[in-house]
Amino acid sequence: MLARVAMGDREAFAALYRATSAKLFGVCLRVLIERAEAEEAVQEIYIKIWRNADRYAAGGYSPMTWLITIARNHAIDRLRKRRAMIIRGEAGGGTDGDGGSVLDRMADDAPGAEAQMIAQGDARRITGCLGELEPDRSEAVQRAYLSGETYADLAAHFNVPLNTMRTWLRRSLLKLKECLSR
Amino acid sequence: MSAQTPLSDDDRALAGEYVLGLLDEAEVEAFEARLLTDPALRDLVAEWAEAVVPMADGEDVPPPGTTWLNIEQTLFGNEAKSVPFWRKLGIGQAVFGAMAAAGLAFVVINGGLLQPDVPPRSQAPVMRADLAAQIAAEDASLVVAALFDSRTGEMRLNAVAGEMPTARARELWVIAGNSAPQSLGLLEVSGATVVHVPDALRGQMAGAVLAISDEPLGGSPTGAPTGAVLATGPVTAL
Repeated sequence: MLARVAMGDREAFAALYRATSAKLFGVCLRVLIERAEAEEAVQEIYIKIWRNADRYAAGGYSPMTWLITIARNHAIDRLRKRRAMIIRGEAGGGTDGDGGSVLDRMADDAPGAEAQMIAQGDARRITGCLGELEPDRSEAVQRAYLSGETYADLAAHFNVPLNTMRTWLRRSLLKLKECLSR
Repeated sequence: MSAQTPLSDDDRALAGEYVLGLLDEAEVEAFEARLLTDPALRDLVAEWAEAVVPMADGEDVPPPGTTWLNIEQTLFGNEAKSVPFWRKLGIGQAVFGAMAAAGLAFVVINGGLLQPDVPPRSQAPVMRADLAAQIAAEDASLVVAALFDSRTGEMRLNAVAGEMPTARARELWVIAGNSAPQSLGLLEVSGATVVHVPDALRGQMAGAVLAISDEPLGGSPTGAPTGAVLATGPVTAL
């Protein structure tokens, strides 16, 4: 179906929307929490999908992974811009935030990353492997993926130096990868 | 032209950091430059992406109806004459043959050539597919995507790859549990087919297998597949 969308087939695009919009809107809501913003995000995401469907084959992702990844990345971009705007107390675009404690407070306002983690179906494998990590390391991975936290955010949250945070997380990623490959 | 290096732990972690969005701008740039020339690294990124996606996946929530209208308006709002189906032909050439007939019909019906004020597609009845299947040949020479709405029993099939012959028929079958294959009808030569699954079968679609067989024109004379099974695919929840 993505192949037909890439060819500019609007009917295929409509069918793709019907089949996947509830899933991608769910992803936007989980990342952005605010409904109005998630609605804007999901519109932008489908516009991106229409324009970029011809790039799908290049990544080697399964179709659903490709779509969810686009949705997640777009929602995270919006979330980071929103944070950056709030930190600077101004409107206008922002770069990826690097706001230490402010970001940290904001993240704490959002539902916990653990609460957002939904164990069902396919999620079992990653859930199982995250469960093999120490709880704070698994939380760090989830904060990065679902809340778009940077190393600076994570270092502030866990109250460790940035380099330590990175070493820590990279080691956790290797463990995770090893578990996922089993 | 490849700059492949054996994958190290460093790369394994780096690919994870890339997928999680933890790299800074310069690191992303450097990493993406390597991705262009290193297929093994690309595979690693795809593996990571597949692995972490379930974290973002959870309860489905349908967006409001206005969302689709806004998308259509943004993308197609000012195009009275519609986007030609072959707009991006260069990219999709491989599947164009199978799609050509459908494409022509599509432009005539939907392209506004005959009726410039034809209502937008979104006003067509909405299909709320809850099940889907990719019915594919092992060598991907034939790939048909199927969407199924178990409330209405409607199944829409689109040939994504492969040609529909005109001298033979392509018949669609469903194998539910241990039952014998039951015919769901013939695929249209255009590649786009809508079939209505009988009520008795609707409840058995989840977990069933769809298959396409090669049959004489008019379909199997016996009620069971008589020719080669060309493609199969499991029905899964969306």
